[in-house]
Amino acid sequence: MRHIPSPSAPTTILEKVIDFVDERVGLKLLVAKMLNEPVPGGSRWAYVFGSVLLFIFIMQAITGVLLMFYYVPTADHAYASTQYILHDVDYGWFLLSYHFWGSTAMVVCVFAHISQVFLWGAYKKPRELVWLVGLALFGIVMGFGFTGYLLPWDQRAYWATTVGVEILDKTPLLGDFMARFLKGGATPGQMTLSRFFVIHVMVLPAALMGLAGLHLFLFRSAGPAGPFRGTPEELKAKTDYFFPRQIWKDIVGMAVVFACICALAFWEPVVLLEEATPDPGDYHPEPEWYFLFLFQLLRLKMFSGELGQLLGAMVLPGAFMALLAALPFIDRDPERNIFKRPIALIGWVVVMAAILIFTISAIINREFLD
Amino acid sequence: MSDERESMSPAKLGLGILWPAFWTGLPIKLAFVLLFLALGMVHFETRIGLAFLMLLTSPVTVFALPTITLGLESHLGEGVGIALLFLLAIPIDIWALGVAGRTFFLERLRREPPEGLGLTLWWKCALVGGIFLPILWVAVSATTEAAISVVHSMFETDLLKGVPVAEKISIELTLWGAVALGMLLLLLGVGLSLVGLMIRGTVESARHTTETYQGLITRWDLMRVPADQGLMLTALTGGAVVLSLLFWFSLPVFTPHPHDCCKKPEVKAVPMVKPLETLNKNEKMITQLTAQVELLEKQQAEAELGKEKSKGKAGKDAVKAPAAIAPVPPAAMKP
Repeated sequence: MRHIPSPSAPTTILEKVIDFVDERVGLKLLVAKMLNEPVPGGSRWAYVFGSVLLFIFIMQAITGVLLMFYYVPTADHAYASTQYILHDVDYGWFLLSYHFWGSTAMVVCVFAHISQVFLWGAYKKPRELVWLVGLALFGIVMGFGFTGYLLPWDQRAYWATTVGVEILDKTPLLGDFMARFLKGGATPGQMTLSRFFVIHVMVLPAALMGLAGLHLFLFRSAGPAGPFRGTPEELKAKTDYFFPRQIWKDIVGMAVVFACICALAFWEPVVLLEEATPDPGDYHPEPEWYFLFLFQLLRLKMFSGELGQLLGAMVLPGAFMALLAALPFIDRDPERNIFKRPIALIGWVVVMAAILIFTISAIINREFLD
Repeated sequence: MSDERESMSPAKLGLGILWPAFWTGLPIKLAFVLLFLALGMVHFETRIGLAFLMLLTSPVTVFALPTITLGLESHLGEGVGIALLFLLAIPIDIWALGVAGRTFFLERLRREPPEGLGLTLWWKCALVGGIFLPILWVAVSATTEAAISVVHSMFETDLLKGVPVAEKISIELTLWGAVALGMLLLLLGVGLSLVGLMIRGTVESARHTTETYQGLITRWDLMRVPADQGLMLTALTGGAVVLSLLFWFSLPVFTPHPHDCCKKPEVKAVPMVKPLETLNKNEKMITQLTAQVELLEKQQAEAELGKEKSKGKAGKDAVKAPAAIAPVPPAAMKP
């Protein structure tokens, strides 16, 4: 009897490979579940930030690995190896500049993502856990920026870390331990560089991958929140699957962010200052731009003195983060429309305006230091 | 709901079309900006963010930028890339306004989008922008300058002279920033209303649609799906590959801003050795030198012959004048 192949029998090698994997891990079902996720109210540009963040992280990992081929994490060679990357490695300057601006883009996109979730009221029941894991991811992104900033080992890196560790030192009970643990000595040196390097390339990526996976799992379990306004008829009419429209928007979002990072790498490529020394000389120490608002806040007279510094450096940011973490449990009103949540709207505007004003003030303040 | 659609404010109408059109055209324009930057055709010198934003909001800035740059002498940047970008932005904006406009007409206004909507919306937006944006520019600049000077003078008074630097900076920034931002938002509202008023005529001339909401959504959704998806995907991939290759080839291999510590010494180009040419040249030189030597030998021989002749003559005349037979100075023997 002749064997007649069924219509669905694989014909090409690729189809055979896919079938082989599918038979063992259920690949087709997995892909179908991933792509056929319904998006209430249809695809939107506002939803692209999560995917864009994942893309930026992947690009940071790729450029980071390429930089590690040349970078030497020792106090003697860190600066020279970074200069070598900038001046002697083919396209090294672009890779390093992309990595630098990629970290900035990551911070900006995290802010945008948190803002979108907050304004859309997407942290409310049943998405509390998604929000909490998201806040932990925010902390990790900040940690990436903080630890990565020291690695070039120039004056800017050295003094930004010194300032950052000093702020950390003000934490009650744990501050002294954390500062000593990170520095590994009285002043930043080889131990500091080694620890920051290990945290930057091993601890934080592992933590980010784990938490990002959990974040996605929780998000898929709870489902997308959808728009905060619109009649049931409108929502039903516009509801669509994740593929292809939302994926298309995500791809465009990634391309835009990629182009922006490349443009910034061109405009302002990384240029190192002099090699790190314990003497700041003419350089006025300050942290990275996304901590500038906090740095400027600490310059205010009301935050001077031991108690004031503790208030400004730890109590205020700590209380703010605690408030964000507790938000889904405090705000139990199911209303998600931001225009019907005046306190949330005003609160967001005030926080954003304060961050902006203090960041620009810190930049203006440089003129008074010279 | 129907009343709300009919009585939509001009500002809402303007924003409803310009906002999505801006985002629709942005990725394509950004790709060109990046390419021109890599090719060194665009240099933003001051107010980078503003210049960049103006390039990307080109439906309304396409005529306003030349006015602001030339008329008000506000220098945003240099390079042929800026003019080229504006030229390229025109078709992109017409397309983006067409896509955003058709969606807006169907979904929000429940009207049939007229033919050539993109072009109609583009020239109306460009006209309003060309007239209104320079006014906005002057008004916001003047307000900001006035606010800064007023706030500065406030802090010069005895009452506020003692305010610490950090506080002073933040309060000053908040005060003049609020005034400038307020002015900017107010004028932006006016500008959007003007765009809305210009568009209103097109809206009112469009006929109402009788389709269900679901039907309209399906229609505008399908309008965005290309007829030939394979062709679209191939064209996009091809375009992306070409742009990436151009970008890669124009990317400098080493940093354009070398640090003082690592500046490479200037290497002088050593002329290339061409063995055949060198041999020919040397051969020619040897021939010339040989000819010169032969000539000199001939001259010397003639001189000696002349001397001998003159010696013979002198022997005859020696009795008459012995002093005339003086020795030839050695220098005369030299060639």
